Parts: sequence; C-alpha cells; structure tokens
Amino acid sequence: MSDQMDSRFHGNDGSSPSSIPANGQVPATFYFNGRPIEALPQDTVASALYRSGRRIFSRSFKYHRPRGLLCVSGRCPNCLMNVDGTPNVRACMQPVRDGMRVTHQNASPSLENDFMAIAEKFSWAMPVGFYYKTFTHPWMWRLAEPFIRRAAGLGKIDNDPNAVTDHPYEHVFLHTNTTVIGGGPHGIQAALEAAVAGEEVVLIDDQPELGGHLRYASSTDDTPETTSSTESPFRGKPHVGLADLLKSVHETPNITVLSNATCFGLYEGKLVAAMHRSAESPAAQRLTQLRTENIVIATGAHEIPLLFENNDLPGVMLSSGALRLIGLHGVKPGERAVVVGTTQAADSVCGALEATGIEIVATVSLEQVVKAVGKKHVSALQTNEQRFACDLIVMCGDWMPDAGLVGQAGGTVAWDEERAVFVASDLPEGVSAVGAVTGEDLPPAIGISQSASANPKKVFVCPCEDVSLHDLKTAIDEGFDHIETLKRYTTTTMGPCQGKMCQQAAIGICADQTGQTIQETGRTTSRPPTSPVPLGVLAGPHLHPVKRTPMHAKHDEIGCVWMDMGEWKRPLYYGTPDSKRESVEQEYWAVRQRVGLIDLSTLGKLDVVGKDAGKLLDKVYTNRFSDLRVGRARYGVICDEAGIILDDGTVSRVAEDRYFITTTTGNIEFVQEWLEWWLAGTGMCVHITNVTGGMAAVNVAGPKARDTLAKLTERDLGNKRFGYMRCRQAEVAGVPSLMLRIGFVGETGWEIHFPAEYGEHVWGAIMEAGEEFDIRPFGVETQRVLRLEKKHVIVSVDTDATSNPIESDLAWVAKLDKDDFIGKAAISRAKDRAPREKLVGFIMDENVLPPDGCVIIADGQPAGRITSVRYSPVNERIIGLAWVSAGLAVAGQSITMRVDGRPVTAQIVDEPFYDPAQARLRQ
Amino acid sequence: MSFLIPCPNCGKRSAYEFRFGGEVKTRPEAGSSNEAWLGYSYAAANRDHSQKEWWFHTYGCRQWLFAVRDTVTNEVTETSLPEEAP
Ligand code: FES
Ligand SMILES: [Zn+2]
Repeated sequence: MSDQMDSRFHGNDGSSPSSIPANGQVPATFYFNGRPIEALPQDTVASALYRSGRRIFSRSFKYHRPRGLLCVSGRCPNCLMNVDGTPNVRACMQPVRDGMRVTHQNASPSLENDFMAIAEKFSWAMPVGFYYKTFTHPWMWRLAEPFIRRAAGLGKIDNDPNAVTDHPYEHVFLHTNTTVIGGGPHGIQAALEAAVAGEEVVLIDDQPELGGHLRYASSTDDTPETTSSTESPFRGKPHVGLADLLKSVHETPNITVLSNATCFGLYEGKLVAAMHRSAESPAAQRLTQLRTENIVIATGAHEIPLLFENNDLPGVMLSSGALRLIGLHGVKPGERAVVVGTTQAADSVCGALEATGIEIVATVSLEQVVKAVGKKHVSALQTNEQRFACDLIVMCGDWMPDAGLVGQAGGTVAWDEERAVFVASDLPEGVSAVGAVTGEDLPPAIGISQSASANPKKVFVCPCEDVSLHDLKTAIDEGFDHIETLKRYTTTTMGPCQGKMCQQAAIGICADQTGQTIQETGRTTSRPPTSPVPLGVLAGPHLHPVKRTPMHAKHDEIGCVWMDMGEWKRPLYYGTPDSKRESVEQEYWAVRQRVGLIDLSTLGKLDVVGKDAGKLLDKVYTNRFSDLRVGRARYGVICDEAGIILDDGTVSRVAEDRYFITTTTGNIEFVQEWLEWWLAGTGMCVHITNVTGGMAAVNVAGPKARDTLAKLTERDLGNKRFGYMRCRQAEVAGVPSLMLRIGFVGETGWEIHFPAEYGEHVWGAIMEAGEEFDIRPFGVETQRVLRLEKKHVIVSVDTDATSNPIESDLAWVAKLDKDDFIGKAAISRAKDRAPREKLVGFIMDENVLPPDGCVIIADGQPAGRITSVRYSPVNERIIGLAWVSAGLAVAGQSITMRVDGRPVTAQIVDEPFYDPAQARLRQ
Repeated sequence: MSFLIPCPNCGKRSAYEFRFGGEVKTRPEAGSSNEAWLGYSYAAANRDHSQKEWWFHTYGCRQWLFAVRDTVTNEVTETSLPEEAP
C-alpha cells in the first residue's frame, strides 16, 4: 500500500524503528513572524518556539487573553497558528520543515501586545448569551456585525484562489478486516492479536510515532519494560516494553500503520474516516476512507485542566503536556514548578520533572489554590496560606476517556460510578474497545472539586470559547440547565477542541448547580468530526476532467476563445477575447450568405438497436417514432411523468431495427439512464449504446453547404434525393458517415456524424472544399444567435424544471393521440387548463441589450423573465425569448423591462425572426 | 450516507457509485384517473424499515437494479436485476 502514498505523508509507519526522529528530518530553520528559529530534529513548531523562549502562543477567542502551551498533544486550542498560509494549525503537532513560515493569529500587533486585550476590560458588556441579550433588533446586529467579525473568530483564510488550488489534498480508499484506532500500548496489542489471527489490520494513530503515553513516559528512563508507576500517568500494571511492541508491529506484514492520522468519524457501513497531516506542509492533507469489518476503539484518555483562577495563564500546563515537552522534544518546560493535584498524582510527575533539573517549589492540592499570579506569564501560585514564586504550574488533572467515536460506532458512553468517568460500553457487533477508553487503568477522577478561588469570572472552563465558571453558573441560573441547552447557549464544547478540554467540567458544573447526578445530567452527543477537519480535505483534490473533441487541435490552430460546456471545451467563437463582436458577426454572415462549419462532437449520441426500439422510443418520447420511415429524422422531446421537459434532440431511423439519437451536450448519461430505466424489466428487445465519444460530428450550413459537400461525397444532395429531415449513410471525404439534413441554424445544412478518429481529416477536407465559397468555422455564440433568429428553444437555457411542452411553444411535439407515453397524463392536464405563462419571442423597440434573466414588468409587477437575448444582424434589432404570464403572450403586446435603471419596451412576436416560411431551410 | 449496496453484477459497492431512482411504484394504466397519476408522480409511501427501491449503478455495470433497503439503518438486505426479479 505504501507505494501509492507519496512521501509527504510518511510518518514513522512502523516500518522503521522508533529511534528515527519524529519527522525524519535534520535540524532546520523556520521563521516565526519573520524571525528565524532553530529547530532540532525532534521538534515541532511549538517545541522549537518554546525552547527559543516563547511562552505566549495565542490570544483567546473573546477576551484576547494570552495563552501558552497547555496539552502539547493537539487537543486544546492554545497553540493555533498560521503555517505557510494555512490557518489554525496546531503548532504542537506540526513538524518543522526548513524555511517554513509561521505567523501568530488573533492578535495585533503581536502576541505580547494585543490591542484587542482591551476586550477583557469590557467583559461586563459581554455576558454569557451576549448575542441573544444584546441583538434584540436586526438593526443592532447590522451595526455591530463588522466590528464583531473583525474581533472574533480564529485565523484568516487565504482568499487567493490560486493558493487554494495549490493545496495538494488527496483522497484514498482502503479496505481491511480490522481497524484499530489509537496506537497506544492497548491499540498495538489489539492490532497484533488480530494480525496473528490472520486478519488484515490497519492501525490508525494521530501521533508521528506509535506508543501512546509510553513514548514520553518512558523516554526519561531508558528501561521501558520497567516503565515505573512513577512515570506513567496510568499507574498500576507495568507495560511491555515499547521497543518490543514496535518491533512486533514492524515484523507483522499484515499490519498497516497510518501515523499522523486522526480518525474523526465513524459512519454507517463501517466506514472509518481519517485525516493525515503531512510532515511536508500543513496544507497537504489526505482523507482516508477505510472500509472495515471490525473496529477496535483504543483512543485512550487525555488529561483535562483543573479549575482555579487564571488557570489559563501561560505557564500553567497539564502534567502530560510538561512530560511531553520533556520526553518527546527534550525541552525543559520551566525552572521552578509548583505541582497541583492529589499527592498520588503529583508524585507521579515530580520524578520526571526533577530528573530534568526542574526545582519543585511545592506540591499543593487543588482545594488550597487561590489563583495563578502573573500578567502575561505565571510568576507565582497563591494558595490560601502562602504565595509560591514559580514559572511553571503543573496541573495533574483528571483523565477523561476519549470516547467521542463510541457513540458514532453505535455504542453508548456510560457513566462509570466507580471511576467517575464516562466510558465506552454497549458496543454493537464488530466494534470493541480496549484500554483507557473503557476506563481500564484509569485512576479514579476527582471531578469538580472546588479551588479556593474567589473570582469565578477568571476560572476558565472552556479555553476555546472563553467560557468561565461564572458564565456557566449564570447560564444555569437563567434556566439553561439542560446540558444540551447549556452547550448551545454558552457555546462550551463548541470550539476547536470540540469539548476535549471542557466537556467533563461542564457536565460536572451542571450537575453540581442543578443538584442532579452526573448520570442524570448526561452528556452532549458527539458527532463527526471529533476534531476539526479543513473543508478542503473533505472536498479533495481539484480534479476537473476535461473532454476535448476530436477537432480540438484544429480549433486551437485557427485560434478561438474556449468555453466550458459541462466537461467539454467548445469554441465560443474564433478570434481573440477582444474581437467577440466582429468575429461573431463575420461567422454569422458566413452561415447566412455562404457556408459555415461548426464542431458538434459534444452532442450526446446513442445507438438504439432491437426489434422493440421503436416501441421504447414511443413510450419515452412525447412524439412517435415507430412510424418513422427508414432514412428519415424527426425532432423529439423527452418529458418526465410530470410533463417537464428533460431533453430534446433528433431521432433518425437508420435501419428497420436501428435508431440514432442525439441528446443535449452533457445530458447524455442522464438520457441513457432514463431510456434504460424504462426498458428495465419490460422484456423488450432493445440494446442501447452510448457512442458519444466514438463519434465526431459537424454541421455544414449555409446557401453553399450543398456545393461544398458535393465535392466530398458521391451522395446526391439534391432536394429530391436528400430532402429536409432525411438521413443517409454516405462517404464524406472517404469516411463512412451518417448525414442528417436538419437545420438548427435555419439554413440548408447537413449534420455529419462519423468515427472520431477521422475528426481532423473530415474537418480539414470540408474547410478545403469550402475555401472557394469563403467558408468559415463558427462557434457556440454564433450558433446561439442563428438559432435564436429561428426561435429554436435550447432545453435548460430557455426551459427550466417547471417547463412543459405546451407552455414552451412545443405543443406540436406532444402527440396526445398516442396511447401512452411518459408524461402524457400531465401534459394533457396542462393542455386542458389555462396556461400560467408562455415562452414567447420578443423584439426590442430600441437597441439596448437587456441581460439574460432580466425581469419583465407589467403594471409595476414582475410578469416574466428573459431567457435568451442577442443582437440579430439580419434584423438589425435586439431579439430574444422570454417567459411571460399568459395574458401578455399575444403577438404585438408591448412588454417592459428595466435596463440600466430605465424602463425599455419590446413587442411580442409570434413568428420566427428569420425565414418564417422555412424557404431557406428547404432550399 | 455511506452504506454499501451489493450489486448483483459487481458485488458490494459504496452507495456513492449509484444513482437513486426512488421507491418502486406501479405505474398507472394508460387512461387512469388524474388522482392515480398525481399519486404516482408526487406521493411516496416513504415507509420506515424495509423498502424496495430503484438504484442505477452509474460507476459500475450501468444497470438498473432493485434494492431492498432498511430506511432506518440504511442496510441493504437484498438486490436483484429487474429481469430476474420475482
Ligand atoms: S498545546 Fe497544542 S493543542 Fe494544546
Ligand atoms: Zn453493478
């Protein structure tokens, strides 16, 4: 599998031993706000910045309070930065690449001095539920919105469209027997067991290397098999050595490891969605969609902050965060530390801190803590007895199982009374959970125990959204005492951490304040994504399939302006972007006076064969084809059962049991599906083949079309042998072709279909044959002018999802005397009732060009809309098609529309604007 | 939506490969009442649990097929080709 993955995504995939540095790179220099920062091989952006002396990593969402590293594991909002133009990258998870450009977010001018910090002075003006309480009238919001938009929010998106397309997003699809989510010791063990049982296993881990907490817990002591209880946050059983585990994984060929990959959702059909970060660039991200038979949830647990005043001050760090800085990055988190927590918990971290030379000033319990002291960084911890000067406060918080995926897998997240945490339980078949997510090995949680803090406004529960203990209490007092309403009202758990830091505390506070048990309070539903996913990752790579006609190179040679029609490229007109007017007019007059040539290869083409082909077409088209004689062509319309026009085109009977159908460009797949549908299960003998790509097509039209083609074919093109609406097999320029005498543009002309490989040859031959008549190729724009003069409707330009043939001026094509066809009942109804609106032609009274879609006004009210409008060279007037209310749809009726702010008028016209008698068409 | 449809021709495939054709209904006889036609065109039974539906395997065999789907769990319990359907 790894050869289909490019090197950008290679973390340590288990195939290399753990001694390789996390990002596999050598020392590098990156730039923070333009200043060079040296990084060691084991560094992330955050660890290198921390080593360089940086302590403030972000400013908070609402009050712009300084924030520093908290979890150092990608779970909190505190280290979001812009990396190489990508906003909201977690610096503590981002490997360093030489030359990388990192900038801060949400602070101006700098993280140290943020003018917006003034917001905190006005915190009284922004109570919980601020929006609902303040913006009680729409005008208030309109007034305040621009200011709030500027002040709030996280990060800025790079609006440069080119930058966006440069992002190398990828989608990968995998299949496996068992997927293990979480690469800690339990996950590894589960993967090994499944692999030994002969299953294909994918092991997904969100860290650069497997090992979970063993990675940093064991690194201060190089004897992992005795990972002592003093260093593991999970006290109790000693784990098997990490090195041994990794070796086993490495030696097991049926385990595929996806490192640096976050599983953010589980979906029906056992679909696992994982997002990979790339070591190369924060923008290169891959979405893996993994189909699996079994899921093992081994997501472990994470530490959550303690609640006391100023618990968000830089220098206040989770114990696991401090241990990660030391163990993974070799960074000393401080010089003098105060550890807050139970004696047991504190003991377990003190050893590791002291081993790196950090002085433990004191160990205190949460109940003693009054507040963290300091302006932009911790300078002391105040207890109810004394003040300890320090530069680091280590919080030994509760461990909360990462159970977000459990509910998505169809299991429940249940309250474990004994351990006082929510754990995975009741898992459906094929899903299991192992390790700390089940509560296993977790120390009992302390829950919401109160500190001695006097100011609940500065006790931060939700660091993402700046929600304090005071805010939550106020909200509950105001009646938002259900955990789901509390969440929505205060926005707790709704920030970038998705509740990882705050959910447990919010539940505890809610229970505390309402006098309910935690079980009664419950938990908010966890939905995908469990961690933030950039929309670009979901959207995937910018791949636009392009279809080119067989004559593409010829058009390029002549020089044309291209247009996109569905996936196809078509010449809009021949010339340059600033020659549109003259080019279109020259092309137009060539067709009307001499001869023109257009590439129609994009038309959908179906070969319909079988003894029941006519019967099928009779059912699907509104008109009749079983009675069409061999050698004839007929215009046809397809409607749905509600009588709405779906497509139109020509149907030619080329043999007794064979029809050749053309459809609108881009609609071919649909028409084929539609025909197949009405064929399915009927037992009719019909075979439908899409020959669009295999056939090229051109239309040669104009008074000299016959003379031009006569030079290329033996076929008698005279009116007697090849009249209007006839089809003939013929050789054209030596190529076996099907010629249709039809006239979309309103002149004598032939549509010629032939094998695509002869595209350039036939095109070239026609151009050469037409040279003496001054032939010109013409594009889509010219064709649109020509057909508009003939009042020929283009389905889905002049019609929409409410148009039936009766109102679209195509009543003649619905043969209501036929026994049955799709849409007959609805079209009959439409015919019987008075029409609501009609598609009509109009001619402007003065030569101003209204835009397509322009509204038609009658008595000051909207009474219709323009669908197509163009300058008609032959009439020297502006003409168009429009939907108008039935009352206005009378020839000679004057209609009004507003163009450039002034009313202009037009007359409704019944007849085509050109050759109404069809004389030229039949010449 | 990420369920699988076992195509009789191609095997288990993601629902994204298919186009949904709605629940299987009986088309009224030619000449039926307006009510019958309106019901057929616009009214859906929209049953919970087992429902027989049309699906077209766009990115596979390009065939219409019947699928019996549990509309609550999105589990497809049975598929067949119209020619072979009982
Ligand atoms: S410090 Fe980086 S996410 Fe918590
Ligand atoms: Zn199939």
